[in-house]
Amino acid sequence: MNQFRTISRRRMLQTTACGFGGLALADLVSAANGPRADGRPDMVPRVKRVIFLFMAGGPSQHDLFQEKKFITDRHGQKIDSPLRKEVLQVGTEQYLALGTVAPIRPRGESGMMISDLLPHLAKVADDICLLRGMNTDNPQHASAVNQFHTGVFTEVRPSMGAWISYGLGTENRNLPGFVSIHAPGVRTYGSGFLPAEHQGTPLTVPLNDKTLPIENLRNVSSSDAIQQRRMGLTKRLNQRLIEDLRGDANMEGMIQNMELAFRMQTTTPQLVDLSNETQAALDLYGIGSGKESDKNGRACLLARKLSESGVRFVQVTMDGWDHHGDIRTLLPKLCQQTDQPVVGLLQDLKQRGLLDDTLVLWSGEFGRTPWSQDVTGTAPFDKHGREHQPESFCAWMAGGGVKGGLTWGETDEMGYRVVEGKVHIHDLHATMLHLLGIDHTRLTWNQVGRDFRLTDVHGTVVNEILA
Amino acid sequence: MSVSVARPNRDVAPRSLVFSVVLGLVSSVAAQDQAAPTQEQLNFFETKIRPVLVTHCHECHSSESKIVQGGLRVDSRDGLLQGGDNGPAIVSGQPEQSLLIKALRHDGIEMPPKGKLPASVIRDFETWILMGAADPRVAKGPVGVSAVDLEEGRKHWSFQPVRDPPIPAVHDASWPVDPLDHFVLARLEQAGLRPVADADRYTWLRRVSLDLTGLPPTPGEIETFVRDNSPHACEIVVDRLLRSRAFGERWARHWLDLTGYADMMGTSNSVFAEHAWRYRDYLIEAFQNDKPFDRFVREQIAGDLLPAASPQERAENITATGFLMVGDVEIVEPDKAKLEADHVDTQVIKIGTAFLGMTLGCARCHDHKFDPIALPDYYGIAGMLRSSPATHKIPFGVWSKLNSTELPETPEQKAARQKLEAEHAEKLAAMKGEQIKLETEKKTVDEQLAAVGASLDGQVAPKLGGESRSDSPTEKTSLTKRRDELAEQLKKLAPRIQHAEFFASKVPHAFAMCDGAQPTDMPIYIRGNPYSPGDVVPRGTIRVASWDAFPPIPAGQSGRLQLADWLADRHNPLTPRVTVNRIWQKLFGEGLVRTVDYFGTRGETPSHPELLDHLATRFLQNGWSQKQLIRAIVLSRAYRLSSTNDNAANKVDPDNRLLWRMNRQRLDAEALRDQLLAVSGELKPTNGGPGLVLEEPENCGELRQSGVNPPNYTHRKPRTGEEFVRTIYLPVMRTSTATHDNLRSFFDFVNPAQIAGQRNQTVVPTQSLFVMNNELFRKRAKTLADQLITDSPQVDARLNQLWLRAFSRPITTAERDAALTFLAELEASLDSQDASTRESLHWQELCHSLLASNEFLFRI
Repeated sequence: MNQFRTISRRRMLQTTACGFGGLALADLVSAANGPRADGRPDMVPRVKRVIFLFMAGGPSQHDLFQEKKFITDRHGQKIDSPLRKEVLQVGTEQYLALGTVAPIRPRGESGMMISDLLPHLAKVADDICLLRGMNTDNPQHASAVNQFHTGVFTEVRPSMGAWISYGLGTENRNLPGFVSIHAPGVRTYGSGFLPAEHQGTPLTVPLNDKTLPIENLRNVSSSDAIQQRRMGLTKRLNQRLIEDLRGDANMEGMIQNMELAFRMQTTTPQLVDLSNETQAALDLYGIGSGKESDKNGRACLLARKLSESGVRFVQVTMDGWDHHGDIRTLLPKLCQQTDQPVVGLLQDLKQRGLLDDTLVLWSGEFGRTPWSQDVTGTAPFDKHGREHQPESFCAWMAGGGVKGGLTWGETDEMGYRVVEGKVHIHDLHATMLHLLGIDHTRLTWNQVGRDFRLTDVHGTVVNEILA
Repeated sequence: MSVSVARPNRDVAPRSLVFSVVLGLVSSVAAQDQAAPTQEQLNFFETKIRPVLVTHCHECHSSESKIVQGGLRVDSRDGLLQGGDNGPAIVSGQPEQSLLIKALRHDGIEMPPKGKLPASVIRDFETWILMGAADPRVAKGPVGVSAVDLEEGRKHWSFQPVRDPPIPAVHDASWPVDPLDHFVLARLEQAGLRPVADADRYTWLRRVSLDLTGLPPTPGEIETFVRDNSPHACEIVVDRLLRSRAFGERWARHWLDLTGYADMMGTSNSVFAEHAWRYRDYLIEAFQNDKPFDRFVREQIAGDLLPAASPQERAENITATGFLMVGDVEIVEPDKAKLEADHVDTQVIKIGTAFLGMTLGCARCHDHKFDPIALPDYYGIAGMLRSSPATHKIPFGVWSKLNSTELPETPEQKAARQKLEAEHAEKLAAMKGEQIKLETEKKTVDEQLAAVGASLDGQVAPKLGGESRSDSPTEKTSLTKRRDELAEQLKKLAPRIQHAEFFASKVPHAFAMCDGAQPTDMPIYIRGNPYSPGDVVPRGTIRVASWDAFPPIPAGQSGRLQLADWLADRHNPLTPRVTVNRIWQKLFGEGLVRTVDYFGTRGETPSHPELLDHLATRFLQNGWSQKQLIRAIVLSRAYRLSSTNDNAANKVDPDNRLLWRMNRQRLDAEALRDQLLAVSGELKPTNGGPGLVLEEPENCGELRQSGVNPPNYTHRKPRTGEEFVRTIYLPVMRTSTATHDNLRSFFDFVNPAQIAGQRNQTVVPTQSLFVMNNELFRKRAKTLADQLITDSPQVDARLNQLWLRAFSRPITTAERDAALTFLAELEASLDSQDASTRESLHWQELCHSLLASNEFLFRI
């Protein structure tokens, strides 16, 4: 059941603004705001926009942000399992303590603990707020990814970017409110029951001519002129029909969108084109053919451009963190692929004065176990990996309203359960909305008789980390 | 993988949003007080307990809280004893039975949410409860706990018995065709409105064809109808459409939206659900054969428990229970108690939504916040489903599999199947023979290579066949080449053999329900958590919609049969109303109750309550026949109206709730793709069968029976001709859109994790890009163009044919002029190829232009 099938003309016009390069339509869009159109925030917003760096697969906090003496001392030895007896795991039957892949040391003035695997991040330790008591409810990728993005695991609900677009509207009428670069699945950018204008626009950063940034973006006629003629005829047919029917909001929307789509064929490739960037900018992000960090560097630079142009919520997904085996080889490689792009983005935002009103969030859907895993049953210990762990993991935030250099939250002696400063996904969502000036209990949508929220009936703002 | 216990995940909005259930004021608990506490006990409370409660709990659980979380207040003794949604927080003298202690230990519930309190504090609480929980505090204001008031609840319209209202009188007696038109016109006249004019015959024919079959009329069908001047012309069309298999295909897909159907089991790892298609095919047959809806309900809930007269009927009955199996089941869940509870939950939700229009899932964790549905109602149904285990853990790893049942076969089916298996076995044997042959040869070559290698190393030259070899380097090269060839062949053969072994049995199975060994009542799971069992409740159903006590469930039975009978009983106030409303929505675009999946107190009230009951009554009188109801509706005057706007009516009723005109709809994903194929003449009829192409080894992941992860599926190699079958037959994936055809992901196809009787209708620019540039449209335009060129040499006839096929009506003069101008302009701009290629290209552009237009994409 949806609440927005009878789409008003105004809503329709808003919808048409939801794409790239709608410049010519800007004058039509007189009120491109979400339903909370009064535009008044619930509280003073600290940031205007969010960039979410999603590390899909579950990065290992034990190798990046925290070392436990208990585990280090027992590296390779059996430890007692803290798991409930009902919980099954495969390949961890031996419960061998697994020490860190590389040294983790204090960094910056704050002394925040960061691994040697993240040399770039180590340099900006005092700009980030490390959350070591993150907690989520489900150990499976699909469910945990859903929960991270939508608050729940099974039901189909709006993604956080969609909620924010709905709550705050767009900053730039010619751009969508929510863009997801290399999106991990449709539900992570879906608008659920919210109006479709709030759904994320999935974008691919093309590394060659074959990839299109948006599907179906390439004209299939033999020339632009011919395509234009074809669409001209379609438009005449559409016009005739709408006159006969004396108006139809959906059909008007389709007509507007067709013009917008035509322009997107030109404007989108321009948007993702980085050929006019300076060498310094490319270097900052680690962009360059043959470089490990090239792909993520391009994605992060694009994220900055989109964010700077007023996209409320930009997500960049970097996957490959699911290290069930051979973590000693695979994790350092992934760090090389991501560290410089991520930190380049932070530095670029800072240089441009944007970091003060932007929230950057770095997180996976869960963390990994302090004990080792070997699903093959035959690998030597130094080829082991780690299993999923939702009980505790690490994330960090940077930007406006967040205490830089703060490490918040602590886990037990082996790094399994949170003992202090627990931040559940719902709390993270509540805090993110709070920084945007939104009271998470008031951002609601009524569906089958009930007011739904991103935070469901949960969520507490983590005031301790707010600057 | 480890799991934490589910946090309450489907709680509902703040309690301050009060509903039609009653707040029972609790004063009786005080009577349960023991002897007056000693001063020492009170001191213990004041020093050890009260400060902790104030500091850590009062913010959310006291009279000062903005919202009292979970209905629990801890600022008085009564509050604690009475408890909240989960039941009492403390049981005096019994710390182990006290929820408060469990919560403090973070055992199932975690309080305080931000982190566990020190162990010493938890011990203090245990001691305090053990001593009798001395507590001098008296409640400020009422300590409320919700209690569902069934009598009050039954006053809600949808729980009232279905009535047979009298046909209302109308001023314009010449307008109505069917009795239902009287109800529509009476409401319009009351509002001072007039219905708009009827749609023309072409529009009506296209509308009814698309609505009933998801396909447009062919030019031949159009011609027959417009020439038929008999008064029965419309009936002839409707009866033809209702008889077609296309009707079954169209309406089965509507039903699938209520089931969570996919060809994948859960969202993780693309584990294939190889038998799911049988349920889909069952639905197509059921709709096509107009299976009475009460029978349809019974089979889907308890088909396995129904008597059957033949193996086919038995197979059908078993397959029908796929309704409860095909949803999103997270079979990788490592906590099997949680998996069971979650799967039962999706089954309860599905039954509630599909048949009753109720959000039963709310009552998993607490009494429903808006509707008179309590925890025991939920667990009454859940107990039946839990008595029929639907998943089984596989012996290795963490995964479970869905229950599947072998289907009985007729002797002919069995013979055919065994023949197939014999052929398969022959092929497998041949492959294995080949494997042995290759291995033997490879072994020889390996030995020869070793020998050659040894001789080249300057060792004693081996005597092979009594001769010494002089050309060893060449020999080595050719042997190496041969060895590599053999290794390559063996490498390719191994997965094919594995595949053939895995799929050696062709015995038909269906994902199906089956009563377990020990059917039994189940406890309420506090906060939905299987590790916090509460009181055991008898199996039963939602009481507010019941007209009588639930019948006793015979020992050894799950109770699904009794539930099925209850759902399909003519006294059930919800099932017939919800069903006729769904049918109305599919035909008019909006339901009489617009919240088609929710008939509760927060849902919409019917725009025409008497009409809804009139339809429900007719439905029951006609033996729950869906086809008869659909027939009556599409032959009515109301269905015949044009969709043109009318300024006056639009002012009074902009949403057209009074039905002064027909609603327009953009075609859904299936109708859109199917129509494209129909118009281009490429649509290929099929009788169903598996959607997944499991017979292609490259589509299947590792097929070991005992891997850490079960075999998965990727749609790499489609089945020949799959491009041209109706969309309902294409595989439905849960996580990716990676079938070769992804139109569904752009046009509001229902996410298979969702249970929704009505789809969104979104309008976004990526759809326009799809229509403009996707090869699905491009190719159909090309085929259509070439067919038109071949079939009609004469341009005028060709244009008319194009309009008939794409828009189901003749071309107008203005359109003909526009099309001719368009073609001429293209001719001027395209000069490279020869004349016939140019003609094909021009017509392709023209066809594409029509296929991308709103008249093609909408049903008006």
